[in-house]
Amino acid sequence: MSILERKKAIKLSADIALASTRAGRTCWSRAIIADASKDDDGKVLVQHLLSPESERLKKASTGLAMENKRVRCKKILKRSCCIKRVRKGASKVVLAKSISKRIVKRRTQVLKSLVPGGEFMDDISLIEETLDYMVSLRAQVDVMRRSLAKATEVVNGCAEYANKDEGIEEYNLYVREHDYMRKLMGNLYLIHRIE
Amino acid sequence: MINRALLPAGGGENMLHCTDMTVLERQRARIKWQQEQQQQFQLQQQEISYFTELADVFHQAGVHEGGLSEVVTRSVKPDPGLVDNGWNNDHVVGYGVGLPYNNGLGFELNYGAISRTSSCPPEAVAAVAEATVKGSESVVSDMISSGAGRESSKKRKVDKAVAEEDTRDKRIKGCAEQGESKITEKNNNKNSRNNNTNKNSNSNKENSDETSKDNSKVSEVQKPDYIHVRARRGQATDSHSLAERVRREKISERMKYLQDLVPGCDKITGKAGMLDEIINYVQSLQRQVEFLSMKLAAANPRLDFNVDNLFAKEQAFPACSINFPTIGMSSDMTNPAYLQFNPAQQQLVACCGLDMGIDPPDMALKRTTSAPVSIPETFLDSSCFTQTHPPPTWDADLQNLYNVAFDQGRQTSFQTQPFTGSIEASNLKMEM
Repeated sequence: MSILERKKAIKLSADIALASTRAGRTCWSRAIIADASKDDDGKVLVQHLLSPESERLKKASTGLAMENKRVRCKKILKRSCCIKRVRKGASKVVLAKSISKRIVKRRTQVLKSLVPGGEFMDDISLIEETLDYMVSLRAQVDVMRRSLAKATEVVNGCAEYANKDEGIEEYNLYVREHDYMRKLMGNLYLIHRIE
Repeated sequence: MINRALLPAGGGENMLHCTDMTVLERQRARIKWQQEQQQQFQLQQQEISYFTELADVFHQAGVHEGGLSEVVTRSVKPDPGLVDNGWNNDHVVGYGVGLPYNNGLGFELNYGAISRTSSCPPEAVAAVAEATVKGSESVVSDMISSGAGRESSKKRKVDKAVAEEDTRDKRIKGCAEQGESKITEKNNNKNSRNNNTNKNSNSNKENSDETSKDNSKVSEVQKPDYIHVRARRGQATDSHSLAERVRREKISERMKYLQDLVPGCDKITGKAGMLDEIINYVQSLQRQVEFLSMKLAAANPRLDFNVDNLFAKEQAFPACSINFPTIGMSSDMTNPAYLQFNPAQQQLVACCGLDMGIDPPDMALKRTTSAPVSIPETFLDSSCFTQTHPPPTWDADLQNLYNVAFDQGRQTSFQTQPFTGSIEASNLKMEM
């Protein structure tokens, strides 16, 4: 398995695990799970990582997909019927307002593309989802950093990343985490072999 | 920045007494918090269960269960006496996701928001159950409330408050928290109070039809379907503008929360600038995740795989199991890049180059001027990955870059030019 595929698999599994923490309650988590369940790799991962409540989640995700289609169709219809109003009042204030509105609109579009499942939400819920997503992303980065530090520490054999007062418990923890990483990698390899 | 929708009724001569406004605000906010608090209890239970799940996923057996619950309870400590600081708990509840791991690894959180609440003792949770404690909205409870009574812009929906109360009552019956009976009593008092007053902060689209042309208040309606709002003095009272105003206030309120969360957004006012910062921050976080996953992928192939653990789950694929160890070994053997650590590091660099060539937006990182110069050199000089000395500052640079990017949350430019030339060459070498 090449490094790129490995990286993709790692990222996918991390994303699914991240989504499982907010499973069912936020839109973006459901969107992640729905997207992941579409292809085979993701499906296996979803089943493994979310086994206790996978049934409910899958139903929620599929329901979300259908609802999103409906919303998308409505939006297309609305946009096709909308006629642009000619702006007569050329006062500076009005002009500035319209410009800022356009800027805000463009940026909300970008934000919608960033947040998973964001295209189908209205402004208010989009901001809430963004908040939650940001917090979860921060946590994800943190976890990955830590696990990377521990992994490279064993490889390096150097104490650069290790804590100074590493006791037996920490070592055991590290070993277990190491185990988890190996299991994860192993699972990913297996998935790849199945394909 | 937040404009309240309510005014004292007969207003009269002076538009606002500042004290009146703040008292009203506080009162309303207190009511709202006490309403939300019930949900928080339920959420705590759910959060705990989710955290344990996630801990299992990530740590197999690494995190103590007691540590988890302690973390969660600590995270829901309210911040009494502060009107606008309900967001503390939002931060902490969100970070509860990351906390279990950090507990296990002895890490200390340095998030700005958490430092505000982490110093509170866990027994303060008991204080939550007592009377007249002002809770605070959490992101999740907010979402539940909004999910329960989500309003579209033009449709009439069931009153949020009523829906919340119903669900809350059911949950309270099922919940086993201490001091719950007290809270239900207060809740009932509050409910009656709410019905009698029209001081809810949500918009009412139906009753505005009844308003006269002058700037009087919206009339009271006892029907639970309506949400009441009062028109301000000197502003239009038709339904559209009222709805618009409420929507704007909601958005600005949430923008304020975001301002607390995104680093470096204290001075920025206005939607456009805030949105820009938010976009940059989310993009940088996503890029960090990509980069870290790449690094993890590079670091891991050197580990020998414990074959025994692997097939505990995948019993259905015995055919692969035989091949797997040999394949794992052979790939390790044949590819000299994997054998040594330094080439692995270089390979990481190569992969970064690859990935950036393929997907430039994903891998934009700030580069010092030294790094891009040295890296292409190492690519071009080596015919295969046996060159053993990557730039010694590479890893340190990466760590620094992460810290920089993490703290600033800034989108930084990245030149892909130095790497594109070497991409094909490294690609060939990689695949072997």
